[in-house]
Amino acid sequence: MKSILILVALLSLTACSKVWAQERLAVMPKEQSAVFKKYCFECHDSSTQEGSVDLETIPTEISKDIQTAERWAKVLNVINSGEMPPQDSEQIPDKEKLDFLEELSGQMVLARKILSDSGGKITLRRLNRREYQNTIDSLIGVRPDTSNLPDDQASAGFDTEGASLFFSSNQLELYLDSARRSLDFALNSSSKVKSSTKRVEPEETYTPHYTAYLKELKTRISNSKAFLASPDDPPEDLGILDAYQARKQMRNAKHWVPQLEEYVGRPETKTGATMILTIKEGGITKIKLPAVGAHAYGRYKIRVRAAAYKDAPVRFQYLEFTSGTPRERHHMGWRKVHGTLEEPEVIEFEFDHQPGEKQVYMIHQRTHQDRGDKNLWTLHQQENGLGTPPGVWVDWAELIGPQPFALRQRDEILFKRPRGWSEKKYVTEVIRRFATKSFRGTKPDEGYLEKLVERFQLLRGEGNGFRKAIVDPLAIILSSPNFLYMVESDGGEESLTAHELANRLSYFLWSTTPDQELAELAESGKLSDPVVLRQQTDRMIADPKFDRFIRGFVHQWLEMERVDMFQFSGAQYPEFDNAVRANAREELFSMVRLLVKDELPLKDLLHCNYVVINDLLAEYYGIENVEGHEFRKVEVERDSVRGGLLGTCAVHVMGSDGIRSSPVERGAWVLRHLLNNPPPPAPPNVPQLSRLDGKTLPVRKLQRAHQEQPQCAQCHQKIDPIGYGLENFDPTGAWREVESVSFGRSFFGRKKAKEFEIDTRGKLHNGRTFSNFTELRDAIADHEEDFARGFAQSLIAYGLGRPYGFTDEPLCDQMFKQAAKTQYGVNEFIHALIQSKTFTTK
Amino acid sequence: MNNSRRTFLYSVTSAVALPFLPSLGLAAPAKYRIAAPSSTPPKRMVFLGIGFGVTADRWYPDVDLEGAKYELPKLLKPLSRHKDDITIIQNLMHQYSADGHAGSTFWLTGANRYAVAGQSFHNTVSVDQVAAEILGTDTRFTSVQLAARGAKNDGHGPGLSLAWNRSGKPVAGLDTPVAAFHRMFSNDATPLAQRQKILNDQRSVLDTVLSDAKAINRKLNKPDANKLDEYFQSVREIEIRLAKEEKWLAVDKKKPTKPLSEPGELEGIEEIRMMYDLMVAAMQVDASRVFTYRMPANSMIQSLGATMSAHTMSHYSEGERRTVSQNRDTAHAKLLAEFFDKLKASKEPDGSSLFDHCSITFGTNLSSVHTLKNCPTLIAGGGSGFKHGRHLVMDNPKTPLCNLWLSTLRGSGIAAESFGDATGVIHELFEN
Repeated sequence: MKSILILVALLSLTACSKVWAQERLAVMPKEQSAVFKKYCFECHDSSTQEGSVDLETIPTEISKDIQTAERWAKVLNVINSGEMPPQDSEQIPDKEKLDFLEELSGQMVLARKILSDSGGKITLRRLNRREYQNTIDSLIGVRPDTSNLPDDQASAGFDTEGASLFFSSNQLELYLDSARRSLDFALNSSSKVKSSTKRVEPEETYTPHYTAYLKELKTRISNSKAFLASPDDPPEDLGILDAYQARKQMRNAKHWVPQLEEYVGRPETKTGATMILTIKEGGITKIKLPAVGAHAYGRYKIRVRAAAYKDAPVRFQYLEFTSGTPRERHHMGWRKVHGTLEEPEVIEFEFDHQPGEKQVYMIHQRTHQDRGDKNLWTLHQQENGLGTPPGVWVDWAELIGPQPFALRQRDEILFKRPRGWSEKKYVTEVIRRFATKSFRGTKPDEGYLEKLVERFQLLRGEGNGFRKAIVDPLAIILSSPNFLYMVESDGGEESLTAHELANRLSYFLWSTTPDQELAELAESGKLSDPVVLRQQTDRMIADPKFDRFIRGFVHQWLEMERVDMFQFSGAQYPEFDNAVRANAREELFSMVRLLVKDELPLKDLLHCNYVVINDLLAEYYGIENVEGHEFRKVEVERDSVRGGLLGTCAVHVMGSDGIRSSPVERGAWVLRHLLNNPPPPAPPNVPQLSRLDGKTLPVRKLQRAHQEQPQCAQCHQKIDPIGYGLENFDPTGAWREVESVSFGRSFFGRKKAKEFEIDTRGKLHNGRTFSNFTELRDAIADHEEDFARGFAQSLIAYGLGRPYGFTDEPLCDQMFKQAAKTQYGVNEFIHALIQSKTFTTK
Repeated sequence: MNNSRRTFLYSVTSAVALPFLPSLGLAAPAKYRIAAPSSTPPKRMVFLGIGFGVTADRWYPDVDLEGAKYELPKLLKPLSRHKDDITIIQNLMHQYSADGHAGSTFWLTGANRYAVAGQSFHNTVSVDQVAAEILGTDTRFTSVQLAARGAKNDGHGPGLSLAWNRSGKPVAGLDTPVAAFHRMFSNDATPLAQRQKILNDQRSVLDTVLSDAKAINRKLNKPDANKLDEYFQSVREIEIRLAKEEKWLAVDKKKPTKPLSEPGELEGIEEIRMMYDLMVAAMQVDASRVFTYRMPANSMIQSLGATMSAHTMSHYSEGERRTVSQNRDTAHAKLLAEFFDKLKASKEPDGSSLFDHCSITFGTNLSSVHTLKNCPTLIAGGGSGFKHGRHLVMDNPKTPLCNLWLSTLRGSGIAAESFGDATGVIHELFEN
């Protein structure tokens, strides 16, 4: 009884959660306790206590307190690691050991959850990195560079979790520094840059460049020949050291000459540039647009007159638009070229250049992340004598802009000074208004405001202009706790104030500060009306800023950082390039976006007869008749392997390591995110299985060892079969009929491979059997309700800023019921959470 | 020397507990300092964390060959010339660590992540920060944290560097050689009066943000006030640092004897080598006495030609993964040997070397794959008075790693009563 009381005290104090808390105990069940007694008590009962370990007194209620949980964790660890029972004692038979370990690891996870339950408490939380950036952008119209700030996604869970959002002293300085720079830009930069059109004719660069290089290569060949003709007494002015160098130089030059000869021989290179992938002299052919400086911010348009070589692989018939420094490129987008040499087309691409940024924008062919393009060129050269065939020709490219942004925020911050106001009166009001807005409804302290005004006066007194002197006080506001933290005062009242509600709502759906409409509804108190709240929620979901929810939430919910975790060899997987990776990521966002826009059922993510793709992914998936780079709904056959998350490239890329598919990662991912039945974390100290090391075997055979020992089998019997059912997807998410396992030395990034049959047969743990991928998909789709609950739990964690705990179960039930009416529509889940008592109270 | 140290070691248990300093990084009161004659070169400490574990079956020496007669494993051959000055210890571990992907989060702390009810993450102060409270009082930088970019997938686990402050919050690291270079060696060309003014300005900024923090604090409940306390503590930390900066204001940052130029963009092996060079240079000019370095793993193996990820490598099996893993271990040994060369070559005024007064620990909380037992531990240097040239295998396979941290502290003259879950010092380290 006492333990229950403690637990209740730990959890929330509301009547409702008490009931739940009492039901939630992590306990070692009787059958397993018997195993425990039988095999452990011989040495570790109260009278023997070998190694001073007395297991007889250990409470069966694992979640009793932290000390008890800790003792059980040790029991689990020593059995997992094989340390106990000792080799000279009676061993636990495999079946009993398996059940015991499975039960204990499950109960351990439960106990950790119970003991770390925040009891419904939402901790005061700092704005995370994304929110900070968006909020500054909303307030001053400049998007700060936040790459120096800690990435708040590094810790487990969501980046909205207050308790995990630390604050360290160097952060305070980084905030100040970042705010000063952004404000200086927002208030002092003058976009004097007039819009203009700058045209680049690439043949002016490339034709002479390649012609000269060709000439040089030919000279090298003739010099090498001359050297080798009389190696004992070679002419000295050739710049060649020895015969080795001469031969190597000649061999390399001969590799490159044919492609360059072909290049300069093409008539179209007199008037434009053919994009080739060379491995020398500057790498790939790229159109470099004039650099854009910090002050030339605004909207730009790139126009390119281009043609595609229709005989080239379709992957090469694209233009890739990138930004960044010449060393570090960021991908902005891709456009397919449809024009021909006879009839080139003009392609347009628009983008924003942010204030304070310096960028070099470039256009080139699709690239790989690693040395893939170089390796592929060599492999192609050996096949065709020329290298990678060109896919696109560019006549010219134009950079048009900037179309300046309206600096609305600047005019608001430095509102027009009313006639007759002294500078002090004016600046006091500027600071007060900015602080009030930045503090999201909290009235700034008078003493604090005075200090800021004093700071302004001090700087002004030192000879700074008004706009320079105001930067610092405003930057201090943007580094103060009322701005950096989501302050909800503990006034003794249960309900949130209207402003606090507006803040929660706005950060949940937009990851930024409330807009004017929301702020006004908060000010008038109308937002607390459930009808108004619902209308506002709908308005916010329809707003473009909702994209931040899609990206922020979906990315973390599905653990999408794994999409970018591994390098794939471009030579081994030529189709999987930077473009496919980026668009595969985008596909997942587009799927959820469509669910919201068309109010489709959540279970479509498990299986549906459509995909949300663009031209580039359609080609990757082998789906025809999709034109254009926008993502849209495309119907597929009911038995297509695409349709639903399990048919996407991204999900399978996440479940591989860049070399092979990983049934373990894939199976665990499905359990965590689709079946809402997460396996316990990988146990420490389990000996690595090495029986099959170094053998070239299909993945299923390699992992057979997982079933051989109870320590491994307890989890892997649940995880691995799901992964095997997904084995028809290769590491890059492409469909395969056989598993190809590479081995031996790599030759320009490519290896030899053995092929193996794929065996996809399996059974969900305590569930349906399946013989292939589509049957597995159907079996998983049966778990629509588990999936919906998992979704609701993640939404609660993200929206409330704390890990999902047992105290949230009634809330989860309520959301689940409400959303059931719309076949678990995303929008209804969001409404249900926002309308809940938990969301609207402290 | 040895005798007096031993007397000290055995008497310290009755000494006053190292106080839980309410303000972080605060200079410890003089009475807790071990008075050292000014002619003695200062003690220093370096902790080098590699993230994912080593190739365990080939990295550790044979357990049957203990003491001085052990053979250095082939993977560690580059360290042969330093064999007499290093010690490899087996069977050290943290009893609470259970995360098979976190080699650094609790490495220097030994904390139990779940120790606090209602929280899913908890940590405590790291050993380097305890040392810095004493060793760092007389240098410009109380301690220096080095790290690397992209650490998320390097097997380090949560944190910003190896260091955690007195409240168990992560301490930020300098994550490129360029940043470290500028922090430690670049002189500000601004005139002194101007810099004094900047300091005063910074104080007034702190004073202003504090007035806002106090306004909030009045209306918060206790748990929220505790969270906001992180902000107050940050302000306090900066105040302490500003006070120190003021003390050093008129003193130019010293240039190391061998002039260093600003490093370029380095990655992997070259980046690690440069960070080692920067630490040596910082010791030469006595910029700091306590260093931690959370080293890169992915960029390191990539600079060795690997195309797989460090995580893939950590699950080594026969074939390419093992090759990459072993190459990485040997590359680390080579870099470490060069680091020792340079420390030995740098002389103190009394003719001894930096190495003689420095206590270096190289390792991680993971031995290999997901195993957290027998943490790889290689120690070197004369800073803590350890007797080197040996292979120690602890009898108890669960000897707390914190025993080593406690030994390192006490051996360096820091009167810590205990550290983490330490059960005592490792006597073997001090014995012949």
